[in-house]
Amino acid sequence: MLASPHKRISNKALTVWRISGVIKAFIGWSVTAVALFLLHIFDAPSWISVILIVLAVIFPCLHILVFPVLRWRSWRYEVREEEIELEEGIFIKTRTLVPMVRVQHVDTRQGPILRRYKLASVVVHTAATSHEIPALEETEAEELRFFISKLARVAEEDV
Amino acid sequence: MSKPKRLHPIVSVITTGKRIRNLIIPMIAINVSGGRDGKIALLVTLAISLVAIMITLLTGILSWLRYTYRFEQDEIRIEYGIFVRQKRYIPLERIQTINMTEGLIQQLFGLVKVEIETAGSGEEAEAVLSAITKDEAKLIQECVSASKNGGDHGIQGAQEGQKVFTISPQELLVLSLTSGGVGVVISAVFALFSQLDDFIPYKRIFGGLEEWAIHNILMIAVIVFIGLFLAWIISLIIAMLKYANFTVTKTERDFIISHGLLEKKQITIPIRRIQAIRISENVVRQMLGYGTVYVESAGGSSENEEGANVMILPIIRVKQIKALLEPHLPDYVLTTTFTPLPKRAKWRYLMRSWYITVPIVAAAIIFLKLWGLLSLILWGLVTGNALLKYRDAGWNLGQQQLCLRHRSLTRSTIYMKKNRIQSLSLQESFFQKRRELGTLAASVKSGVGGAGGKVVDMEMGDILYIYRWYSRERQRENSG
Repeated sequence: MLASPHKRISNKALTVWRISGVIKAFIGWSVTAVALFLLHIFDAPSWISVILIVLAVIFPCLHILVFPVLRWRSWRYEVREEEIELEEGIFIKTRTLVPMVRVQHVDTRQGPILRRYKLASVVVHTAATSHEIPALEETEAEELRFFISKLARVAEEDV
Repeated sequence: MSKPKRLHPIVSVITTGKRIRNLIIPMIAINVSGGRDGKIALLVTLAISLVAIMITLLTGILSWLRYTYRFEQDEIRIEYGIFVRQKRYIPLERIQTINMTEGLIQQLFGLVKVEIETAGSGEEAEAVLSAITKDEAKLIQECVSASKNGGDHGIQGAQEGQKVFTISPQELLVLSLTSGGVGVVISAVFALFSQLDDFIPYKRIFGGLEEWAIHNILMIAVIVFIGLFLAWIISLIIAMLKYANFTVTKTERDFIISHGLLEKKQITIPIRRIQAIRISENVVRQMLGYGTVYVESAGGSSENEEGANVMILPIIRVKQIKALLEPHLPDYVLTTTFTPLPKRAKWRYLMRSWYITVPIVAAAIIFLKLWGLLSLILWGLVTGNALLKYRDAGWNLGQQQLCLRHRSLTRSTIYMKKNRIQSLSLQESFFQKRRELGTLAASVKSGVGGAGGKVVDMEMGDILYIYRWYSRERQRENSG
């Protein structure tokens, strides 16, 4: 097997993902509450409600406690002079190679939670695909974007 | 060639016609639904529609007046727009494909519609000249190919080409017989009838028929059969009209593909803009030994998929493809030998097809008893398809070229040059890891988005081999 790429994403990503997990959980719970209420009104069999409640406990647990850790552990990236290599995935591990000469442009993206923690995502676009490196330190993301766009500019071939 | 030019005046009629066609359904709906209360209401709605038509006519004429194009400094410069004036300058060297279409209206006046595509994204082609004279069109084409030749090259030589392929009557017949157009015709008819739902009182017509129908099932079966047969004939004729006179010519730098009888189409695709080559064989054609060859191009838009997947050989004996195309595409090696998947992948293909079907079949047999056994047919089909998928998947790696083959319903083989592959990725799920298998996917640019090849359950060692081949730095690691 090939050696994995070296760099990890910021460990503050864990906090961010947990927060967004909590937000999602609240949304999920309010939907579940409405569903339970409706089920009660329409006299649906009680086992449906039980299943719903069990799911409403399990999913937030996974999304707040388990998945962020696994996801953070599985995320690796490396930006070298001639190519970008990404590795991610909890259950299905995906590894992607993007040659620098194929990069068309680079974005940094920052939602409200990411901004609060001074993080940003870098999105690399080729002519056909786009690849996101999530939750990097703001300064690092900025540097990376600069670095990639500088290297990508060397490319002469066009589509 | 730098004076601003207008399109042929007929354009104003064409655009008006198009807009009215889009308006006509809502207008009928308004007139029908609103006109019940009395004469005044009817008059008002009629007046409104009349005004609407007048306005579209006026804007049609105005937009024709405003639309000009010219050639300047190796760019085609288009200016258009009534209220919002827009200018679009397209460098000639960025042009990916040029499509020319002669619809019925255009043919009446000896005109063509020219669509110019770049790699940019968007709903329509980057420049659409809806109707210009044929001489104009030829001039544009020469201008474009001259700019690609660096300007100093002779324009004369560029247009004379070498015939690569002409469809024979026999091939046209096979193509039409095996094209999947029947479904399109049938669904179009259904769509039409469901649209007319509000106007035709089906209930009143068919209410009394129900009883009659029960007694005449055979009759109905015959009618349905005849209907299907007619649909098939219609689709046959449509396919024949569309692909009649299919010829491919190669000039110095371009492929020029032209086809069609009622609506003549011509596509020019620069050879160095070709992103990948794809051979697609549906089951029937594969049994007859035929296939279709496409070239993936970066032109094309979300509205016009054909611009991205340009059919270069609509129907051809698969054995002939190599001999026919390779001389014209010196970079590509259209190999026909593939490394198959390892034996242990077969089980994964079978299991994947059974996850869903086996429970369905089991449920059918348990609940429907004897009739449920019919679902075994489904199981057989799915299993057969899985085996075919396993058998057909494969890959081939050349010096500078990756070839991936897989099957969904049709078998598709894609040939990609290393420097056209936008990104390469390998996947490994938990179950694949246990058997040292993985999934390989490569993307190339095609139209607005991407296309590519994917092979599921390849030998992990092979995947890593290809991964190293694609990586610029891993390779160096290996050799040094």
